[in-house]
Amino acid sequence: MATKSLARQQMLGRLFIYSALILLALYYLMPLWVMVTTSLKPLDEIYSGSFIGLPQEITFEAWSKAWSGACIGTECTGLRPYFVNSIMMVVPAVLLSTGLGALNGYVLTKWRFKGANLVFGMMLFGCFLPYQAVILPMAQVLGRLGLSGSIPGLVLVHTVYGICFTSLFFRNYFITIPDELTKAAQIDGAGFFRIFLSIMLPAALPIIVVSCIWQFTQVWNDFLFGVSFTSGSDTPITVALNNIVNVTTGRKQYNVDMASAMIAAIPTLLVYVVAGRYFVRGLTAGAVKG
Amino acid sequence: MTDISQSAAVPGTAPQRPAATLSARLARWLPRLVMAPSFLVVLIGVYLFIAWTLWISLSSSAMLPRYDFVGLEQYVRLWNTPRWHTAVINLFLFTGLFLAVTIALGLLMAILLDQNIRAEGVLRTVYLYPMALSFIVTGTAWKWVLNPELGVEKVVQSWGWDTFAFDWITRPETAIYCVVIAAVWQSTGFAMAIFLAGLRGIDSSIIKAAQIEGASLPRIYASIIVPLLRPAFLSVIVLLSYISIKSFDLVLALTNAGPGGSTEMPSTFMFAYTFQRNQMGVGAASAIMMLMTVAAIIIPYLYSELREDTHGH
Amino acid sequence: MTKYKTLLLATALALPLPVLAQEKGTIEVLHHWVSESESAALNVVRERMAEQGFGWQDSAVGGMSGANATQALRTRLASGNPPGAMQFLGYEGLNWNAEGVVRDFSEPANEKGWFDAIEPEVAEFVTADGKFFAMPINMHRQNWIWANKKVFDANGLSVPQTWAELIAMGPKLKAAGVVPLATGDEAWQIQLIFDALVTDLNGPDFYRKALVELDTEALSSPGMIAVFDTLREVRGLVDDGFVGRDWAVATGMVASGEAAMQVHGDWAKGEFLAHGLKEGEDFLCFATPSKTPSYLFLIDSFGAFTTRDAATTAAQAALAETIMDPEVQRAFNRIKGSIPARSDVSVDGFDSCAVKSFEDRAAAIGNGAMLGALTHGFASQPQFAAVFADVVGQFFVTDMTSQQAVDMLVNGIANAM
Repeated sequence: MATKSLARQQMLGRLFIYSALILLALYYLMPLWVMVTTSLKPLDEIYSGSFIGLPQEITFEAWSKAWSGACIGTECTGLRPYFVNSIMMVVPAVLLSTGLGALNGYVLTKWRFKGANLVFGMMLFGCFLPYQAVILPMAQVLGRLGLSGSIPGLVLVHTVYGICFTSLFFRNYFITIPDELTKAAQIDGAGFFRIFLSIMLPAALPIIVVSCIWQFTQVWNDFLFGVSFTSGSDTPITVALNNIVNVTTGRKQYNVDMASAMIAAIPTLLVYVVAGRYFVRGLTAGAVKG
Repeated sequence: MTDISQSAAVPGTAPQRPAATLSARLARWLPRLVMAPSFLVVLIGVYLFIAWTLWISLSSSAMLPRYDFVGLEQYVRLWNTPRWHTAVINLFLFTGLFLAVTIALGLLMAILLDQNIRAEGVLRTVYLYPMALSFIVTGTAWKWVLNPELGVEKVVQSWGWDTFAFDWITRPETAIYCVVIAAVWQSTGFAMAIFLAGLRGIDSSIIKAAQIEGASLPRIYASIIVPLLRPAFLSVIVLLSYISIKSFDLVLALTNAGPGGSTEMPSTFMFAYTFQRNQMGVGAASAIMMLMTVAAIIIPYLYSELREDTHGH
Repeated sequence: MTKYKTLLLATALALPLPVLAQEKGTIEVLHHWVSESESAALNVVRERMAEQGFGWQDSAVGGMSGANATQALRTRLASGNPPGAMQFLGYEGLNWNAEGVVRDFSEPANEKGWFDAIEPEVAEFVTADGKFFAMPINMHRQNWIWANKKVFDANGLSVPQTWAELIAMGPKLKAAGVVPLATGDEAWQIQLIFDALVTDLNGPDFYRKALVELDTEALSSPGMIAVFDTLREVRGLVDDGFVGRDWAVATGMVASGEAAMQVHGDWAKGEFLAHGLKEGEDFLCFATPSKTPSYLFLIDSFGAFTTRDAATTAAQAALAETIMDPEVQRAFNRIKGSIPARSDVSVDGFDSCAVKSFEDRAAAIGNGAMLGALTHGFASQPQFAAVFADVVGQFFVTDMTSQQAVDMLVNGIANAM
């Protein structure tokens, strides 16, 4: 009798847990649902009043227009060239900031020098800088370096502000690796870089994933730096998307807007779907521990 | 702190030979050299630029930077601006609500997900994906969902509940809550991931022991597990505060600081004054105020964090 | 060797024209026109430049009523890499001229009579001390009312002669299930109703005193209180779904008959035409009601940044002359929905609303009622115009009293001085 009611209670508990989780999932999926369905509807259907709801007629026209036909100013190239720009920007920026972050984390935990904590604290504070405040001086610096209005300029900017985060990630991770390990390697005659490459990096895989995901998302989604430091055909995809979505006259093409938004979102979505599990695992492995 | 001196004295180095001294010196300086470029760019990109902003906030800069000195005039002007008051109040209201709801919901989701759920991977991805999207991307969809004539209100009414009202975004006194809803949507997955990571790091034998002693599951969570999550709480609080202070495209995409300026935040205020209103000095002053707020939150946190670490070593 | 030479020659001969033309210079044009009709209109200029052998590098930055574009310009100037030419709204051109970064075109202007081709009200924004620093291409009128004719006919309504008449139409339309007035909650959409009310209720002289000279007495006068009182009544004509509504969606509501009217600039006309509607049959365009009809104008102009690059300098001169060409202005404005900034372009080929715009402009110039539109930055500097936007936007969506609004206005202006 007692076991039966206990089982019943457990069943009810499971039921509650599952329904709560599914309800929450619906809340999380709602905006995505709106975007996907709208992007598949013909324009007339949208204007006849159904913003939310299944499309009666499915068309991929909006997607192909967003990818290769939509106009920005007098250029009608769609998002394709800007997608390429973003890739050109995001790959070096992520690699550079992650690599430097790993080195910094390594130095800050295993080769501590006088004032290391201060250096780390100063870097960490950089994470919290409101970027609007640095746009103008940064523009002046980029101009001096001859990098203004270019993708390499954006790579530099994202690397500079990305280092703050990646150093934090790696430092908090490496601090959990016992010092004895590196000391033993030192006694065996391994040098600074040798220890880094053959001991630290292989152990750091989870946090490398976390750092890459974080940086990829931040850099890919950035709008402020993109709109400030580039223009015309050199802009990243978020700026191009903003231009498409902000068309203020003419019948607003909501399906193209939504398809463009989806295209701009696919890379980051993919990264989260594919690498999401490593993200949680990486957080477990170190980033949480302060 | 002593690691470095030990490493310089690695056995095998012969101090009397000049070449070896050089390499030993190099070895001693190598870590610092490796960090130097990063530190230098941060020094310029963060601290030099903050100094520049500070200077601008003390100048009469309007459309372009002007390098003169007018004292605290821009700060007086800033605090005489009703819009700035709205921004400050909103920041605290928003941050408080956003932190409370995101932490509560994120913790709840993490605990629920930690009960050996089938399809955990799928659900986790669903909760986490908003973090991947910029509000430049999701802003329009959210605007529709929250709009009473297009979104939730209309859908629920069409189900037959005629008196259902959800028009918060149309009213200045409630619009900020809509911003909170969207912000919670974006960040809870992240909080959940950190809490989940924390939960997975807790030794399961603790739970079993408590269960044997007859404690109920909710009790175990409330009195044993949640306190053990303290580091996770700290990380979440710091990261969420960061998100809320910087929230910029969220507000722009959702309400554009409206209706009637009621959802103005310091970040949007600063942008508008610097780039739209030709009052760069006021904009810079607001940036300095934001930085001071951040410093007030972060520096104590950093201090306690780093002190603990040195004790640990 | 000879073979190589012939090959070279053949290649040179076979080179398509545009490639050769590039050598004359390319100009980068930074603007915030991203919609289809705007882009199509700008293409008129681009093509004319191409015919003359100049390249065009398009830098469109849309959004936030041009704020993103002006921000981009600031950073470009800070980095020492300004674009060849930039679109100016309101005081921007004047301010950049004061900073000494834009080129003076007074030479071709004197030669070709540009100074005489524009009204003094326009000249205020594109010339200073004999310098001609920006080329105005078009002129929009802001204080139009766009109405659905079928809705008007079905409810037995005619064009209102006063704001009181317009407001009185509200209950009847609401009873018929029509939204009397469509608008969005964005401050500028509401502010343009405010601009119209200021001059319609109190006359052009009051407008100049209050919105241009920012005279405290005028700002706190009963006239201003009356403007806010009327604006409060106008709020009653608008439905609750107006938050986050794009102005073009509001225009769509009028086009479909869901709403009866919209107070908006003449760029709204393109929306009706896009729906295949005709002026006079399907929709009406008339000025906001007043004893002295005013003409609240705004212009788009292009300025050129000084550069040492000879090719760009040549392209800038060509762009200036292209924009000031009456035929280019005609072709451009027929697509854009505005009328030429030059007042000497004939009315031939323009649609009926534009013809009305030509006529009203001529009448307003005679009455001293041609006024710069505050909403778009043609009455006072941005820091003051923004105060009006703040107050008006907030007033419209809250229960603020007219007196509170006026106080807030006076304090806000004083604080921004």
